[in-house]
Amino acid sequence: MRKTYRRNFDQLAEIVADTGHFFAEQHIDDSLRMKVDLSLEELFVNMVTYNTETDRDILLEMRPIEGGVEVSLTDYDVERFDPTIVKDVDVDAPLAERTPGGLGLYLVLKMADSINYEYSNRTSRITFRNIMATGGAAEDV
Amino acid sequence: MFEIGFNERGEVVLSGRLDAAQAPRAQAFLDGVSGGCVLDIAALEYISSAGLGVLLSTHKRLMAGQAGLELINVNRHIGDIFRYSGFDKLFVIRGV
Repeated sequence: MRKTYRRNFDQLAEIVADTGHFFAEQHIDDSLRMKVDLSLEELFVNMVTYNTETDRDILLEMRPIEGGVEVSLTDYDVERFDPTIVKDVDVDAPLAERTPGGLGLYLVLKMADSINYEYSNRTSRITFRNIMATGGAAEDV
Repeated sequence: MFEIGFNERGEVVLSGRLDAAQAPRAQAFLDGVSGGCVLDIAALEYISSAGLGVLLSTHKRLMAGQAGLELINVNRHIGDIFRYSGFDKLFVIRGV
C-alpha cells in the first residue's frame, strides 16, 4: 500500500479505514491493529503539528513482513527531528507533575518492535515494524 | 466514530475512537463537568495520546476542587494503554 494524505487531523479516519482494508487484504493478524493505529496516529499528528512550512501531503506506505507489518511515513520540506531519540517520559511521576506533552512518541517507542529514522534532502522517513509475539498471539495492547 | 454524553445515572459515557481529531470535542464536553465525575469507557475502542491528554487535563482540573475522574468498565486494550502511560496510577479505575 502506498498512499498520500493531506496534512489534516481529519485524515485520521481515512488512515484507519485504509489500514483496516490493508490488514484484511494481506491477512495480517488483527491483534496488531491497536499498536499500528496508535503509532501511525502519533507519528502523523506529530508531522502535521510540527511541520507547518509545507502543504505537501504525507506519504504512508505499508507492506506485509514475516509475522507482521512494516509501516513508513514520509514527510517533506521538514527540519530534522528524530523521534527515536526523544526524551523519556516519567510515567511514575505524580499527577501534579504530569503533562500530556511527549506521551505520543513515548508510546510509539513502547509499541513498535523496531523503529528507524532516515533524513536527507529535507525529507524525513520513519519506519516501524510490528510483529506477532512468538507463540502466535500479539502481546497485549 | 466517537460519541460522548451522559447516561441515565449521570455518568459520562464515551464510545468509539478518541483520537486527535475527536479530542477537542471530548475536551469541550468535559470542560462542562464539575465535581466528581464517573467515566464509563466500556465502549471506548481506542485512545491516543490526544485523548489521554483530555482525561489528564480534566482530572487535574477536578482534582483541584478535591474531586476527580473515576474510570469504570475499562477494557483490556484501553487498560494496557493506561498502564503503558502510567495513567493507571493517576486515576481511580474500576472494572478493568
